[in-house]
Amino acid sequence: MSQLFAVLVGGILGTGIRLGVDTLLPHGADDLPLGTLIINVLGSFLLGLIVARFWSAAPLWLKAGLGTGLLGSFTTFSALMVSAVALTGSGLWLLAAVYLVLSLVLGFGAAAIGLRVGRVSTPIDWVDE
Amino acid sequence: MSPALVVVTLAAGGVAAVARYLLSVATARVSKAESFPWAVLIVNVVGSGLGGVVLGLARHAALSPDIQLIVLTGVCGGLTTFSTFSVETIQLLTHGRWRAACLSVGLNLVVGIGACTAGYLLAA
Repeated sequence: MSQLFAVLVGGILGTGIRLGVDTLLPHGADDLPLGTLIINVLGSFLLGLIVARFWSAAPLWLKAGLGTGLLGSFTTFSALMVSAVALTGSGLWLLAAVYLVLSLVLGFGAAAIGLRVGRVSTPIDWVDE
Repeated sequence: MSPALVVVTLAAGGVAAVARYLLSVATARVSKAESFPWAVLIVNVVGSGLGGVVLGLARHAALSPDIQLIVLTGVCGGLTTFSTFSVETIQLLTHGRWRAACLSVGLNLVVGIGACTAGYLLAA
């Protein structure tokens, strides 16, 4: 039950931050949706980072709230598809393809870097602890 | 954008995230854990299809901008995810499961675009 509540709160926050970025970086129907690209790349990096760094020791409600809720809802796959189909519908095939490839390459790259950085930064073993 | 519209959109995103979570719990019970990211594929395809329907209806002004925001940004955005998709793909690759990774990426893209296009054409 606490997991469901954590996902709900995280989902509300993630959707809210995404709505904020969309409002700050609006895009026309025939432009590259830069806001969604930034959201998906940043969200992929952050999820990779916290998965590698905290997941083995994190309680279930925290994983559900931060991973599934906050970052899961912050990032979006549907907006990517909707923009690709809308751009294609306007005859902008090349821009749609560039947008998809950029999202995948930068998003997967960011996830890989996040997972890598999270693994490297192990906590300091204080001598006098 | 009225405060009430923002509240409804965020609530829709939160409820959609809960639906995604429940589906991931259900698929983890049915299929062996870490076998294939089915949950993400299902939510991404369903959300993309619904997004296509909204896009199609919007072209004919059959949906108010408020409803578009609630369904696209709230329901579809909260239901679908890119971060889990990308991190799970890299995890499959680092475990040497490149076939599952390629299949997952291919299915998300092809079926996702297919569902979105079908929704758009049906509604337009």
